[in-house]
Amino acid sequence: MDLNDEDLIRRVVEDGDQRAYAHLVRRYQSQLRFSLRQLCDGDQALADDMAQEAFIKAYKALPAFRGDARFSTWLYRIAYNLVMSYRRKKSPEVDQEAVDRAQQEESVEEAQQLGMARDLNSAMEELSEAQRQAVHLCMQRGFSHEEAASIMKLPLGTVKSHVNRARAKLQTLLQAWREEVVSG
Amino acid sequence: MDNGLNNRDRTDSWNSAGGEPDFDTWLGQQLQFSEPYVDDDGFCERVMARLPAPSRRSERRATRVQYAAVVAASTIVAWQFPFDQVFIQAVQQSISLYSLVGVGILTSLAAMAGGIFAARR
Repeated sequence: MDLNDEDLIRRVVEDGDQRAYAHLVRRYQSQLRFSLRQLCDGDQALADDMAQEAFIKAYKALPAFRGDARFSTWLYRIAYNLVMSYRRKKSPEVDQEAVDRAQQEESVEEAQQLGMARDLNSAMEELSEAQRQAVHLCMQRGFSHEEAASIMKLPLGTVKSHVNRARAKLQTLLQAWREEVVSG
Repeated sequence: MDNGLNNRDRTDSWNSAGGEPDFDTWLGQQLQFSEPYVDDDGFCERVMARLPAPSRRSERRATRVQYAAVVAASTIVAWQFPFDQVFIQAVQQSISLYSLVGVGILTSLAAMAGGIFAARR
């Protein structure tokens, strides 16, 4: 039986059931690690460390989780805070070797992808980081504008503006592909 | 990598809003379909290994629930058990009252211990 997040959280908090938390980790690890890899400029090792820290921090803070937001929103907020805090402490140095390695792997994968996915990735690269994150959270992860604003710690209007500008830019960048598909 | 969306699906999503392409829906689909699944690859185990032990409070609460369940089950069994008939039989068989009480207590203890053991498992 697949328990929902609320039931699993209740088991963790009330019964100290760590197996229930393992379910939550397995449920969200792929999405969170993928999101953090983008946020960490492709440094997979750093992203995985941050994801691990986020899950551990979330576990410790779980008794204080009031449930007024979704668990995923709350988890993302913790993870984003960790990455931002790490960036503030450390100068914007990036493990260049890790980035090169990741980009090599990505380019192998890209070569296998259909043109659309490759064009989409290129178009996403054209966005500013904030726009990319806003699009990622709202359109890829399905968070509302309010949830994305809470995660990114930005005013709601700013997030909406990022999404709107990103949408306009993506529409322009993908125009040629769109005409090709619509014309059949 | 196949992103799982064929041309017809794409065209449909473009045209889903009264002949105008629904860009947001289409973009969301494309972003989701082009996202690879990140294999767990021991990640979950590493997280679980670093978690602190569950608090004693939650452990005590779980234990209290188990004890309550065992007491409730024992009460139901005791309520249904034909003590009067057993007592009459015992008197007829000339079993001393003291030994009967002893057997009763031992049986109850064994049942409760078994219940607690089963609940903990």
